[in-house]
Amino acid sequence: MSCDRNPWRNRELGIGALLLVVAAPFPVLADSQAPENGAWQPMRPQLYGTRDIGEVDDQLMSIEAPGTTPDPAATPVVLRFGGALVGRVKQVRVIIDNNPSPLVTTMDLKEGLPVDEIDLRVRIDRFTSVRAIAETIDGKLEMRSTWVNASGGCSAPPSAAAGGTLGQIRFRPSGDAKSLQISIRHPNNSGFQIDPRTGDPIPPHFVSHIRLSAGGQTLMEADTGISLSENPTLRIASSQPLSSPLTVEATDIPTQERYTATWIAGSSSR
Amino acid sequence: MTATVSRGPHRRFRGRLQHATLAVLGTLAVSAWLYAAAPNGLPVSEVAPGVFVHTGKTLALDAPGHDDIANVGFVIGARCVAVIDSGGSVRVGSALRAAVREHTPLPVCYVINTHVHVDHVLGNAAFKDDKPQFIGHAQLTAALARSREFFLKNYAADLDSPPGAEQIIGPDRTVAPGSDMDLDLGQRQLTLRAWPRAHTDCDLTVLDRGTATLWTGDLLFVGRTPVVDGSLKGWLAVTEDLARLPAKHVVPGHGAVSSELAAALEPQRRYLVALLQGVRDELARGKPLQEAVRDVQPQKSQWQLWDETHPRNVARAYQELEWE
Repeated sequence: MSCDRNPWRNRELGIGALLLVVAAPFPVLADSQAPENGAWQPMRPQLYGTRDIGEVDDQLMSIEAPGTTPDPAATPVVLRFGGALVGRVKQVRVIIDNNPSPLVTTMDLKEGLPVDEIDLRVRIDRFTSVRAIAETIDGKLEMRSTWVNASGGCSAPPSAAAGGTLGQIRFRPSGDAKSLQISIRHPNNSGFQIDPRTGDPIPPHFVSHIRLSAGGQTLMEADTGISLSENPTLRIASSQPLSSPLTVEATDIPTQERYTATWIAGSSSR
Repeated sequence: MTATVSRGPHRRFRGRLQHATLAVLGTLAVSAWLYAAAPNGLPVSEVAPGVFVHTGKTLALDAPGHDDIANVGFVIGARCVAVIDSGGSVRVGSALRAAVREHTPLPVCYVINTHVHVDHVLGNAAFKDDKPQFIGHAQLTAALARSREFFLKNYAADLDSPPGAEQIIGPDRTVAPGSDMDLDLGQRQLTLRAWPRAHTDCDLTVLDRGTATLWTGDLLFVGRTPVVDGSLKGWLAVTEDLARLPAKHVVPGHGAVSSELAAALEPQRRYLVALLQGVRDELARGKPLQEAVRDVQPQKSQWQLWDETHPRNVARAYQELEWE
């Protein structure tokens, strides 16, 4: 059937203890074309107090996601940094306002890291704002947001890529080694899904931390949660070839299992 | 059994209704009851003796009339009737049931669902009072369980009011891949085959052996862009086996009935191969998902509802193939 779009989650049971709690419902914006403001409203003072947040210059920073996601279970979100921000971002948060677990990730970047693009694959629950907030090494904040709609679809589909070896890490570099996609075989179970055979919730089991390092130095560390897609995938791009060898370590919850792999430029996998 | 034989009882049935209507004319409540009890039958055509097909409309899933987009129908035996897919709403299911009644007084003993998608299953509740056996793929039970809340959230208006999970009816009997099930409708044998993961993870075909009519479910799309919800590689493998079935009449899940199975499958096979090659090329070049969705555009002009369907196919195929 015309299974155009398929929302991801099976059930909203509430918010996991490890995740940011969304407070009471918020009034719908006067503009009915816009999604509800959702989690950002209470999160802003919690995370950034009353600090100014720049929201204008697309040359400095941009966020890109499909207006209507082709697959709500794995929606690509692309963050780009330009000019003065390259090498000067120390932290990036990604927030999906209307997801049951809005904070997708908090990423800490090594000062001077020349990354100009970060891609993530996220779950989208329903029509929502997706936003990224970058903090520079001198303490300035920049935020960009976009809307993503997830609607329709003809059933809750089966996993697009289940199976494989838990924790297997796959590297997919571009030919010029200036970008690298890192994928981790993991169901990233939210704890909201219901096992159809038993009717019981499937326990949460997700990648909670990803660390990239080279030569013993941490380049990037990310706290991650259940709004990342199944088989969590991160892509970084730079104007220059990436450091190699590059080591990835991922840790999951609740088993605290650690998965690690090293990419060497010139090799394409594992 | 022919349509002529079954027409007599139908006339009597309608005559009774007309009589009743006259008797209570002016009583709104009773008129409303009569309308609910006897909606107009879905238009069907008899593609082989005793095999009736309603052709669904080519509409998007969010368009008005989206509950009537799949091919649905029924097969009449000497003893009873098998309904094959029930439509995308209880309303369409009721209209299909009325169409059955226009052609035979025999009971509906089986309601067969070819897979989990909303446009093929949501009419099941319309047949509940017939107490049929509901039959589907061994994975259909779990697929429906996974989708029940999704249907209630997105398609509540296509259920009877008030909408409830009990209207989303799963199979009483299931068919596992590798062990076909035969159903006897009285001088008419249906063979049900469950397939490995392809269009979905619960695809089932129905072969009416006497007339060699094959109901492919959504393992075959004609005209409408195929939807890859199960496995692209799996679907291509299943296509090879499916093409060998002895069919003289082919009823696809969407699009026109035809008489040549291999020929009917060919455009879809070519699309699936082009999708596979296109996504593999993107992966080999290190292209991310969003660029693959933008770049892989084979055969756009040949398919209906492309923009509503194809981008998702690329995204699903990408996630399947990136682990090769």
